[in-house]
Amino acid sequence: MKRALVIGATGFLGLNVVDALQARGVAVRATWRKKSITVFAQKRRPEWRLAELDDLAAMEDAMRGCDVVFFAAGHYPRYSLDARAAIERGRADVRAVCTAAMRAEVPRVIYTSSIGTLDGSVEGPVNEDDRTPEPPLESVYRATKWAMEEEVDVALARGLDVVTILPGACLGPWDVRLGTTGVLVALLNHALPWWVDGVVNVADVRDVANAHVAAAEMAPRGARYCFGGHATTMRVLFEQMCARWALPFPAEELDASSARERADAEEREAAPRRGRVPMPRELVDLVTWGRRVDSSRAALELGVVARDHWTTLEDARRWLERMGHVPKTLPNTMPTTVPSTMPTTVPKTMRASRAEGASDEVDERGRSSATCARDDRGAVGDRRRVGAG
Amino acid sequence: MRETIAELLEIDVASVRGEQLLREDLGMDSLTSLELLSTLSREMKVDLEMEDAMEIVTVDDTVRFVERHLAC
Repeated sequence: MKRALVIGATGFLGLNVVDALQARGVAVRATWRKKSITVFAQKRRPEWRLAELDDLAAMEDAMRGCDVVFFAAGHYPRYSLDARAAIERGRADVRAVCTAAMRAEVPRVIYTSSIGTLDGSVEGPVNEDDRTPEPPLESVYRATKWAMEEEVDVALARGLDVVTILPGACLGPWDVRLGTTGVLVALLNHALPWWVDGVVNVADVRDVANAHVAAAEMAPRGARYCFGGHATTMRVLFEQMCARWALPFPAEELDASSARERADAEEREAAPRRGRVPMPRELVDLVTWGRRVDSSRAALELGVVARDHWTTLEDARRWLERMGHVPKTLPNTMPTTVPSTMPTTVPKTMRASRAEGASDEVDERGRSSATCARDDRGAVGDRRRVGAG
Repeated sequence: MRETIAELLEIDVASVRGEQLLREDLGMDSLTSLELLSTLSREMKVDLEMEDAMEIVTVDDTVRFVERHLAC
């Protein structure tokens, strides 16, 4: 891979994909739109192309000469208020990009989907093969992502080479528009009004980006890879963060039904002013869908496994501090980056055994078996104060 | 510059005045601030830091910011 186009290079995942590509010496071309926040991507010096997703000619031109197109800008409904519009928009985006890719004769497209397309009714951890047969219409977000994957299937049938990555809830640096990271912002500002419990799969965005790049180089045509990251529960995650960062535990826990109603009401209130809510409906849907995700195929075939989740959380926090979204911490008395016993990219010879060990089982405290040892080692640190500025 | 700000905020350019506070008077949030910084960066062809946005409080500040960078 010598040259790649990143669609969505100004966004959270896209910025990290650009970093991963440039670290491997790949020349990066990037699309932008009139209202894109380009100030961060600009420092990475991509070859810019102005192209809206539905501008077929501009998109085709941007793709020409690229070995791979990373499509990390699929529709992410900001509010779960209009299912039909969200699904139509999502389908149209995928159709447009796939059509442009076929016309430009792009050898491969890496498409970013979501674990939300997986079937929540199967027993045990879910993986790439557990696609839900019918659209999960109870969730606008999940139904939109499901419909978009259906469009990818159509493109595959027409001959396009597409590999799909299904990440969990991404956290880490460069969440410019505060997607999932919005919950972290609310927690750190003591402003999380309510929460709902369930299983959450926390993926480091840099690991997800590495999985994208590895998939471009190594995956068979049509392959799908889950990257759930660290599987835990919302309760345990909040308990750990509140203990480590000396934060008050968010008081009001809602049951699933009440959480959905509350999220809907808050989104209806926020939508006219284009505001963001601390617990968006799509996150409620993902948490209450609540399945542990088996990422062993990504570990085995792509050599990418999840780094320690404290590294992810601390790095996300530092980035939020830099952006002024949360108070700055006092000088820290403990290492903010917990050394991982497992490298992000596993040497080929170790892949099989590492994959077996990366099952990410959640124990009775909701902790992953692959990370329990590291969590326990950090328990002393958990009791130390990390002051809020 | 008033046109750029009006376009980002989707408001009438006539309602943008120099002394106005971007956040309090015009309702510019952190995302729109980044969009403004991105637009300035593209049009002036310079790299800007997040910290640069901190000094821009009013519409006039934006104009002065641009003038200063263009003079460099």
